Order: sequence, then C-alpha cells, then structure tokens
Amino acid sequence: MKIWVIIKKEYKQIVKKKSFVIATILTPVLMGGFFFLPTLLTKVGRETKNIAIVDYSGMISEKLINNKDRDVQLEEKKLKIEFKNVSDVNNNQNKIINHFIGLEISINNIKKEIHEISEIYKKTKDKNDKRLILDRIKKKKLLLNEKTKELGNIDSLLMQEYRDKVIKKDISGFLIIPEKIAEVRKVYYFSLNISDFTTNKYISSRVAKILSSTILMEKIKDPEIVKIVDEATRNVVFSTFAVKEGKDSESSSSSAYMMSVFMLTILFSVIMAYGQLIMRGVIEEKNNRIVEVLISSTNTQTLFYGKIIGIGLAGLTQVLIWIAIGAVFLGKASLGIDKSITGFFTPLIVFYFLVFFIIGYFMYSVLFSIVGASVNTDQEAQQFAAPLTYLMFIPLIIGFMVTQNPNTPIVVYASLFPLFTPTLMFMRISVTMPSLFQIILSIVLSIASTMFLAWLGAKIFRTGILMYGKKPSIKEIIKWLKYK
Amino acid sequence: MDENALSLENLVKEFDGKKAVNKFSLKLKKGEILGLLGPNGAGKTTTIRMIMNIMVPDSGKVQIFGKPFSEKTKDILGYLPEERGLYRKLTIIETLEFFGKLKGMKKSVIDSRGMKLLKKFDLADHKDKKIEELSKGMAQKLQFITTIIHEPDLLILDEPFSGLDPINIELVKDIILEKKKEGVTIIFSTHLMDYAEKIVDSVIMINNGIKVLEGRLDEVRAKFGNKILHLNYSGDADFVADLENVKKVRDYGNEMEIELIDMKYKDKILKQLIGKLSVNSLSITEPSLNSIFIGKVKDNEVK
Repeated sequence: MKIWVIIKKEYKQIVKKKSFVIATILTPVLMGGFFFLPTLLTKVGRETKNIAIVDYSGMISEKLINNKDRDVQLEEKKLKIEFKNVSDVNNNQNKIINHFIGLEISINNIKKEIHEISEIYKKTKDKNDKRLILDRIKKKKLLLNEKTKELGNIDSLLMQEYRDKVIKKDISGFLIIPEKIAEVRKVYYFSLNISDFTTNKYISSRVAKILSSTILMEKIKDPEIVKIVDEATRNVVFSTFAVKEGKDSESSSSSAYMMSVFMLTILFSVIMAYGQLIMRGVIEEKNNRIVEVLISSTNTQTLFYGKIIGIGLAGLTQVLIWIAIGAVFLGKASLGIDKSITGFFTPLIVFYFLVFFIIGYFMYSVLFSIVGASVNTDQEAQQFAAPLTYLMFIPLIIGFMVTQNPNTPIVVYASLFPLFTPTLMFMRISVTMPSLFQIILSIVLSIASTMFLAWLGAKIFRTGILMYGKKPSIKEIIKWLKYK
Repeated sequence: MDENALSLENLVKEFDGKKAVNKFSLKLKKGEILGLLGPNGAGKTTTIRMIMNIMVPDSGKVQIFGKPFSEKTKDILGYLPEERGLYRKLTIIETLEFFGKLKGMKKSVIDSRGMKLLKKFDLADHKDKKIEELSKGMAQKLQFITTIIHEPDLLILDEPFSGLDPINIELVKDIILEKKKEGVTIIFSTHLMDYAEKIVDSVIMINNGIKVLEGRLDEVRAKFGNKILHLNYSGDADFVADLENVKKVRDYGNEMEIELIDMKYKDKILKQLIGKLSVNSLSITEPSLNSIFIGKVKDNEVK
C-alpha cells in the first residue's frame, strides 16, 4: 500500500525533528513546574522563624518555649516557628514600654471622649452651650495631638532599638510581652517581615491561650477545670465549600477550572501546531513541485490521507508520551502534588482527552491542508489560516461560561457544534460531566462532519495542489469541487 | 497489442481563454526517443503535464501503452518535472527509498540499484547527506536517479538538461541512450536543440501551442532544411548577405552559416569570398534543428 509509504515518511520526518524531541521533553517539564511550583514554593519559601521573647510579665515566655503539648509542637514544626527567651529585660525598657502602653490607652480614652462630646454637640441646640462644647473638643484634640506625638517618638525610639537588634542578630523578630499583659491584652512584635499572617495569627492565639489558662489557674487553682476550659475554648477551623450547579466538590472548584483550562490550552495548541505543520508541508511540496513527482507515483487521495494520518500519528505519539510521563509523576504520592490536581486526572478524563484530540486533530488538519493546497506562499496561508484559529478560539471564550453555567442552552448547543466540539465538549466534561447522550451525540456529529470535510478537502486538495501562481477565488474553489 | 508507447490525440488546454496547447497529437513507438522541441512558453510543459495526468485536458485523449492513464501505469512511468524539487530534510538514501517505495519497489532492490546509480553519478560518497547540504547540480542528478530507479518503460523528461554542467549533460545523455538500448521509450522536452539532435529518433516542434513540424530527424532535415555552408573565418563578412544566390546568412563573428538557394552555386560563392576573407575551415553540413526551427517559426509568423 502506497499510503503506508507516505504515512511512514511523514511520521519519521516529524519525529526525527529536533523541535519534536525538544517539545516532547520540555512540555512535561513545564507542566511539572506548573503543578509542583505552588507546593514547592510554600515549602521552600518558609524559612525558620527565630522569635526572641522579651517577657516583662514573666507569665508567658516559659510556657511558649517549653511547650509539652504534642499538637502544638507539630504545628510549630510545620510553621517552622522557634521561640527563645532573651534576658533583655531591663527596668528602663520596661518603663518605656509601660509608658507607651499608657499613652496608647490614654489616646484611646481621649478619642472616646471626643466622640462622646461630639454626640452631645449634635444634640445641643443652645448656641452658647455649643460654643462651650466646641472649646472642650478643641482642648481634647490638642491633648490628643500631644499624646500622639509623644507616642510617635517612643514608637520610633523602640523601632530604632529593635531594628538594630533584628538586623544585627540572627533573629526573625522580637516579641515584647508587656508587664500588664493581662489587662492590656496586647503584645508587640518587631520584625522585618510583619505580613506573614500565618505566623502572626498563630502567635497571638498562642499567647491568648497561655494567658487565659494562666489566669484561670491563678483564680481557680484547679488543673482539671482549667483543662476543661482549655478544651472548650479550642479554635474553630474555617473550612470552605464551593457549591455549584451540577456536582458539588470540596473547595477544589478553582483548581478544577484551572486544570481544565490548562488541558484545553494543550489540546488547542497541539491541534493548532500540527495543523500548521501539515499546512506548511503541503505548501513546501507545492512550491518544490515535489507534488508533481508524487502525483506521478500515486494519487492525491493517497497523498492527502497519508499526510494527515502520518502527521497525526506523530502528534498522537507526542501526546501519549506526555500522558505516560504524567501518569508516572502524578502516581507518585511522595511528590506531594495537590490532591485537587491528581484527582482531576481520572482515566476517564485522559480517555476523553485522547478522543477529542484525535477528532479535533483530524477536523482541523483537513481544514489546514485545504488551506495549504489552495495558496502558494506562507504569507497567504497565514491569511487563510487566521479564521481557523478564530474558530478554535471561540470555544475558549465560551469556555469561561462553561465553568459558571455548564448546562445553559448556548453552551450545550455550542459544544454540539462540530467545529467547537473538540475543545468545548472536553471542557464541559472536565468541569461537570454532561449526559452520556450529549457526549456521544457530539462525537458522532463531529466524526460525521470530519468525514464530510475530508471528502470535500480531498477534492479541493487534488486541484489546488497543482495550481500554481495565483491565489484562487472562492468561486474557483467551488468549481474545483465539481471536477470529477 | 498497441505498438505505440504513447499516443496523444487532439489535446487541447486553455488558460484564461488562451489556448496553451491546441489540437496536439503524437504517436511514439516503443523503444524510440522523441524530442519535444520549442521555445519557452510554447506549451511543452503543459503537454507533458497532460500526459502525466497532472492537468486534465479540456479535450483530447492520452493513451499509454494503449490504455488510458491509470494508477497501474504510474509504476511503469518515470517522470522528471521541469521544476525540480526534493524534500530538503531527507538524506540521499532516504530520498531514494521514499520515491522507490512509492513506485512499488522493495527496499533491497532500491538499495542495490540505488548504489549503482549513485556511483555512476558520483554521488555515492554523499549518500547520507541531507538534500539541503547538496549543491544544485548534485540535487539535479539525484532527481534524475529517482526518475529512473524503478526502471520505467516510459520516461518522460521535462527539460532534462537544464541546470546541469556540460559534463553532467553528457552523463544524462549517455544514460538516455543506455535506456534506449534497454528498450525504454523516452520523450523529452528541451529548448536546447543542439543536444536534442544528437540523440532523438524523431522530433516534434511546437510553438504557441501548435505543432509546427514533426517527423524523423533525417526526414525533417531533408524536408525542411537545405544543406549549409559552414565556414570559420576572420575579417569583415558583412558583404556576404548581399551576394547573389545566398538565401540566408547567420554570422557568429568568426563562424558563419550560409544557406544557398541551391548547393550548385557553392563554388561561385566561394570564389567571391576568397581574397576578402581569410577562411580557416570550410564544410558542408546538414541544417541544424535550431536553424530549421527558427525558419519554421518565422514562416508561421509571416503567415
């Protein structure tokens, strides 16, 4: 069979290309990066936090550092938090901090007073009274300014002191626990990185916990009760569920969407790339006039189908290699890939990916080879190929609708439209499984129209590939169809 | 069984209202060589493309070994198109394998025959090179090999000599003659008539899509051309054209072809030349296809 000669040659010619080998290897590497990076970043990105505690109250540091609770130890290991005591406690500093706290409190009080007076001002009708109240507000505001300024001074003083300490010493941050922690219920944290909310939240809840159990211990002096209270005031975890129409899934909706867009991009770009490859191959043969020799040995039908099948097999080889690599890596639990990603790649999804790749490839390669046969130069080809690219793009745009409303009529009909089926139906399947009837219908429709296109394409190809020189008009192309 | 390897009947092909080939017929006996001659744009390539079924004639009939063109005939045809082209990324060996297999050959046969031909064409040392690394001449030779590797019964060569240097033209000519000895029928087109007349059995001349002349080479010469006085000279020869009994003169500077009204006047003419020109050599020759053709085309235009 001569078609095998063509298939073999086209297949070999692509598979032997350097670009094929590079793309086959590089794509999984990039995919890997895409999957692993987020997990990797959170792991690598968390460096150990040495937190120095300056405890003026003497209630907290001991319990923070020498913790016996296993759960807490595990949590701290995970967050890479290490507490250490600093014998940096001196009276002078203590006074400053107490003064600082005192200022904060009085500033707060003044603010409250101003607010209260303002409320009274609003209600007062008498002009004289109003003026008197306004005077009071002015005085208070003046006082507020003064105190704020003083606070600011101490603030920068403290900052300066601890900045030097944080930078000089190998310490992530200083945690200052004031003498009257029980009353002010406030700790001060000096660090280069203050936006690590996980750490911040953890420390504040730990301190609160220690504080409350210490106070309880002092007042009640009964460890049993303290334990009960401890147990009763445990933190509540906030776990989210995204509810969708169709099937519900636990919080992985965004990653499912990401995955389906990701797979769609691969589907789209592979079909595009191989389509263009066919187109350029046809143009090369046409320009070289190799086609005349080919036609003198075999017919255009054989050439047309041989080409499409040969290049298609090369594409399939590449995709299968990717799937194999993907299966090996995703199968390894030790790599710690997010469950929402491994969960996405069910055998069914992979199966449908292959099915729609094959259908999409044949559909578009037929179209691309028609374009290749009808034109003479690469530039002309790009002009004609642009609408094909748009045809494939439309489903990507509709695709955004798919994730929100996968079963609205417009999406359903669009996914049954053969030219959109390969991408859109695959996207629907990956987001929310449509009925089997719809899937089969879409596959049947698109196979039927691919066969029709191939029949049409072979005819146009036959005449087009031997037409040199001028760009054919649509009218002429239609005439070609009528040749027997 | 038809003894004609190729017969064309009233082929017509029109492009945009202009007849590129008009009622063209020919019959080519098995084992003969036919030269399809004519200037550029005469319709030679269009005719050949119609033989090869690359173009469908508007009307007329093509028969190869007595049968219409079909998939089966393809394996016994060797076709060298006017514009050469091979896959740039394939090596010489891969190229031979691909085109050989397309003609239904087995790999072992391709290898043994291919190596023989590569040696003959001095390409054996380059057999693993890619086409894009070859010189234009080498690629031409390779293309010629792909045309004959399957030992076709009918060779159709469109301008087989173009793009080749004199040594390789000789080589191709030798191969064509060798093939003839093997009983292969050959039709080739060229506008280089000097090469054609050395190897063809018969010729067809075509101009503006119309056959202007056909026949066996000797017949054509006898019928359409007079013998010619060929001289190699030095001096100013402008006066020769004005002499009595001289029909036509082609002056090449130091060579001159003089066509007389009749050969009997040759001595008279020679006498008039002596003293005015220094004659280095003198011969009486058959008319060249070139001169016959130019004469014929001019006659046509006058009509």
